[in-house]
Amino acid sequence: MATRPMRIQLNARNRAFQFPATENERILYAGLAAGINLPYECGSGTCGTCKARLVSGEVDDLWPQAPGRKYLKQPGEFLMCQGAARSDCSLEVANFVYNMDAGACLPAAGRGTVRNARRLTRDVISFSVALEAPCDFDAGQFMVMRVPNVPGYRGYSMVNYERSARRLEFAVKKKPGGGVSEWLFNGNIEDKPIELFGPLGTATFFPAMAKSILCIAGGSGIAGMMSILERACQEHYFDQYSGHVFFGVRSMKDAFFLAELSRFRTEFSQKLTVTIVLSDEDAPGDAAQRYPALAFDRGLVHEAAARHMTGKYHNLRAFVAGPPPAVDAAIRMLLLEARLTTDNIRYDKFS
Amino acid sequence: MPRKFVCRRADVPTNGMAEFDAGEGLKVLVANSGEEYFACQATCPHQDVSLAEGLYDGSVLTCHQHLWQWDIRSGSPLGLAEMPLNCFKAEVDNDSIYIDTPGALNVGELFAGISEGTLAQINALARREEYPQGGTLYEVGDPADDFYVLESGRVEFLIGRDDRTRPAGFMLRKGEVFGWAALLESQPVRIAKATCLERSTLLRINGKRVLNVLEADPASGYLVMRRLSSLIARYLASSGAR
Repeated sequence: MATRPMRIQLNARNRAFQFPATENERILYAGLAAGINLPYECGSGTCGTCKARLVSGEVDDLWPQAPGRKYLKQPGEFLMCQGAARSDCSLEVANFVYNMDAGACLPAAGRGTVRNARRLTRDVISFSVALEAPCDFDAGQFMVMRVPNVPGYRGYSMVNYERSARRLEFAVKKKPGGGVSEWLFNGNIEDKPIELFGPLGTATFFPAMAKSILCIAGGSGIAGMMSILERACQEHYFDQYSGHVFFGVRSMKDAFFLAELSRFRTEFSQKLTVTIVLSDEDAPGDAAQRYPALAFDRGLVHEAAARHMTGKYHNLRAFVAGPPPAVDAAIRMLLLEARLTTDNIRYDKFS
Repeated sequence: MPRKFVCRRADVPTNGMAEFDAGEGLKVLVANSGEEYFACQATCPHQDVSLAEGLYDGSVLTCHQHLWQWDIRSGSPLGLAEMPLNCFKAEVDNDSIYIDTPGALNVGELFAGISEGTLAQINALARREEYPQGGTLYEVGDPADDFYVLESGRVEFLIGRDDRTRPAGFMLRKGEVFGWAALLESQPVRIAKATCLERSTLLRINGKRVLNVLEADPASGYLVMRRLSSLIARYLASSGAR
């Protein structure tokens, strides 16, 4: 039975917005799909950034155990990423909210089918999603996805980059106890259906930014960096600007995408450097022979970046992704040691 | 408010910061920079995250959650921050640090940092007014003679006329300035209706008189006009900055 969409009235600090939301549609996704840049970060219930206050109307909480609920303080507050309207609603967010810029890739719901699933390491899997309808995204963005028989969405960065993409590639680290992660790692997922919403995220790269780039990635945080490097290489960005990539993993057998990183590096060897940083071991003796285009170092990835980047921060934008402690440490280094301004630090925390 | 004891000097790390309970639920962040001490609200105005867990380099305070930043001296927002920090005047007396709560004008985004004499003149022009919940400050089309500084409470704006109105934002932080048409030329009337959503205390100040005061102190006037233009831009801007 088709039901009338609910009308959501959202009062922000600077102005008000109205947008429709259908039954069971998450209010955050409904607003983003309407081109309104609502506050969010993870889009999947953990960060608390999308909190709003219900002024009137009824909202169903689709995930009452969401970790992000710990940021809710006042009565009536809820997470827009987990709230679905049951009636016309009036909401309030204590943020300045604007429409998305012209040229932003408008997020939308989509469907696809899993293809080419394969293990990259003992706890990282790669797979593609063949989309029913093509999708535009910016390099560095992510999708939230929902899989059969698992409640809720999880966010994963795209690895590839192309306009009107019919296929999205992902690289996901195993997270014990994570519903979507368990589904991806246990059993045969080939040809299974997946629901997506996106693209999301502002840790994006555009050639027009005209700055050198520094990528600091821990583990599967390299996924979005691959998309950034793909776009930069497609457009010969490193003919003019420098690129520095630091990819941190525990040991050599946890490393992946080394052939792809070697290809980027070989094509733009003048201005692009790629360093694999191992936290738990020295690089094995044959690593340099197997991957002559890559450099290897030992330690924590942000410390290695700090050692190699001294004096190279002029006109530079940093991209940071990985587990929250690694991201926090890298941001601390970039602010306090590198003295980058906050608009030149773009990050995703996979919390 | 009489001054309140917050902590001992030795409790604040050199060139560092620490959070203290100043009593009655008031949490205060105290930061050191050389011989000086600064005090401000202890939680981020964005999402109530503890600022003591953030980063501080002796002059700039950064919230680790979304990288909002402020000048520790004034509480003025820097970079991505959308709101100022509520700052206190920190007084060092022997070994102890006390705070004094500043007036709404000093907290405000518009007048923080201008010369003390000029601020005192503007303060003298301000009338403190209290409004009940539901009280209307002005209607669309009313003359825009005065501007307001929020001291406490909450004010909402409506645009449109009769039954065709819609919300156009709201004010909730001490020191926020609105009705700034009174400070502009060729904006003689209100374009929105302003209503108090809860019992509110406001400073009401005549725009022309403030402009006269600022003309006699162009350095302060320049600062105020710069702040006013970024204030207006924030309401008109797109999200392009991020």
